[in-house]
Amino acid sequence: MRAFAWIGKSTLNTLLFIFSLSAIFPIVWMIYSSFKTQSEFTLNILSLPSEWNFSNYVEAFKIGQLHNYFFNSVYISFISVFLIIFLAFIIGYMLARFAFPGRTIIYVLFLFGMLIPIHGLLVPIFIEFRSTGLLNQPYTLILPYVAFGLPIAIFLFETFIKQIPKEIEEAAIMDGCSTFQIIFKVIFPMAGPVIATATILSFLYAWNEFPFALVLIQSPELRTLPVGLTNFNGQYTVNYPQMMAAMSVTVLPVLIVYLAFYKKIIKGMTAGAVKG
Amino acid sequence: MVGKSAIKPSNRKIYLYLLPGLAIYAFVVLIPLLMAVRYSFYDWSGGPNLTFVGVDNFRELLRDQVFWTSFGNNVFIIIMSVIGQVGIAFFISVLLTRSWVKFKQFHRTVLFIPTVLAAVIIGFLWSMVYNQNYGLLNFVLKAVGLEGWVLPWLDDPDIVMGAVTIPLIWQFIGFYMIIFMAAMQNIPDELYEAAEIDGASSWKQTLYITLPMLKNTFKVAIMLCIAGNMKVFDHIFVMTGGGPGNSSTVMAQYAYDVSFERFELGYGSAVSIGMLVLSLLLIGISQWIGRRGEE
Repeated sequence: MRAFAWIGKSTLNTLLFIFSLSAIFPIVWMIYSSFKTQSEFTLNILSLPSEWNFSNYVEAFKIGQLHNYFFNSVYISFISVFLIIFLAFIIGYMLARFAFPGRTIIYVLFLFGMLIPIHGLLVPIFIEFRSTGLLNQPYTLILPYVAFGLPIAIFLFETFIKQIPKEIEEAAIMDGCSTFQIIFKVIFPMAGPVIATATILSFLYAWNEFPFALVLIQSPELRTLPVGLTNFNGQYTVNYPQMMAAMSVTVLPVLIVYLAFYKKIIKGMTAGAVKG
Repeated sequence: MVGKSAIKPSNRKIYLYLLPGLAIYAFVVLIPLLMAVRYSFYDWSGGPNLTFVGVDNFRELLRDQVFWTSFGNNVFIIIMSVIGQVGIAFFISVLLTRSWVKFKQFHRTVLFIPTVLAAVIIGFLWSMVYNQNYGLLNFVLKAVGLEGWVLPWLDDPDIVMGAVTIPLIWQFIGFYMIIFMAAMQNIPDELYEAAEIDGASSWKQTLYITLPMLKNTFKVAIMLCIAGNMKVFDHIFVMTGGGPGNSSTVMAQYAYDVSFERFELGYGSAVSIGMLVLSLLLIGISQWIGRRGEE
């Protein structure tokens, strides 16, 4: 009986281990294959590179304009994240602290934004942006990224601020602080962990977003990484190692953020999920 | 109470503070929603000529084979995901509570990685796995002598839906696993201790304590599965573009095709409205069933 249980446990342990490996193997395969030459790759797609050659990366940047996409992704993600945190913190504070006419409506509107499949808005947003001349501008993507990032950040902040005792703000009022000063000089510094969570979640969203970047931007020089990658696919149809180099560049910042802030990401994502 | 009035700004001031965020949100989410309703009543290819056609677009939508095929594909993905993602994720979370399971931290860290990656990356990665001639899957199958299993995974209309669903399931197992693990931590230890004294085996404890205690978590997970898979787009766009033919088209892909390949923006708006309505309907039904189950 004991031997039977031991076999069962070992089997499950092995299966789980294989399963976990299957979750990262494609990514590991992508990264090491990006150092192979095209001919080396076709010869044996599974083998490790015989030598570490960076030519795929050099070409991805030189011919593929990868630095351009990379810069756009960085710039759009950073501004979007900054605006999301700034605006969501104010809204979260107001919703957490005060009762005012229309509070419930505003609350429900943002909750609604977490529920609707935003891809249904792809076509109407395109129409709206085209008629207002907002298509294809350096700032175009910031608008949807901020709007779609707001709800989750607002709810994270609102939940957190509710738990802070009001006495601190009352003391600040006595010292002559304005509301704006209370929000950003008193409350904001106390909310470090939840701000970090919201920042990471917004960053991941903006960095990875694809459909809106595809539809709202037409000029190649304004594209972000996810759409830029599709360009690689067209230009070099079967050059997998080169494509993999470009993909690795896209993935690297996300992997770094993930490994550095693993716990915060998981906490934020579960909080968001349960709220939604 | 004195304190409350002391820190509360006037209503006007509150609205001023809310305005910038609300304005962006309204501009990007609320106004387009209304515009979609309006344009869905027009025949419009994007130019200056708008023709009011009443409910013709919706009448066409009801008869549109491709739209309903794509809705069917969304439903297929949802069902497979509920079984695959929620099922596998629950099983793994239970395993990770067992003392005899090794490398717990490794499993937790690694299984979550695909969740944080861009859907486009997952799509490209798996098209490299599936590629008929240069793909990882067929390479491995040949290497282990299963030549008969070598298939054009993304080019055969009969198997393409299964093939595109696997990466979708694979990407988010870690996400659901984390939700279950967080919920399991909230189950009081006393329940397990009492069961232990009564001599219940650990699998019995899972069946009679963990499973019923996680009922609400399951509901949330299934709702997230529905909401998430109604908007599937990136993976499919990258892997197949909805093909071959329309065999792997999903609703978002179809709305994209109609609007940006055929430039029928009026009908594209109607497709978008159809997609929004069907999504909210499915989410509503799942909640209703969940609530009925409680009574």
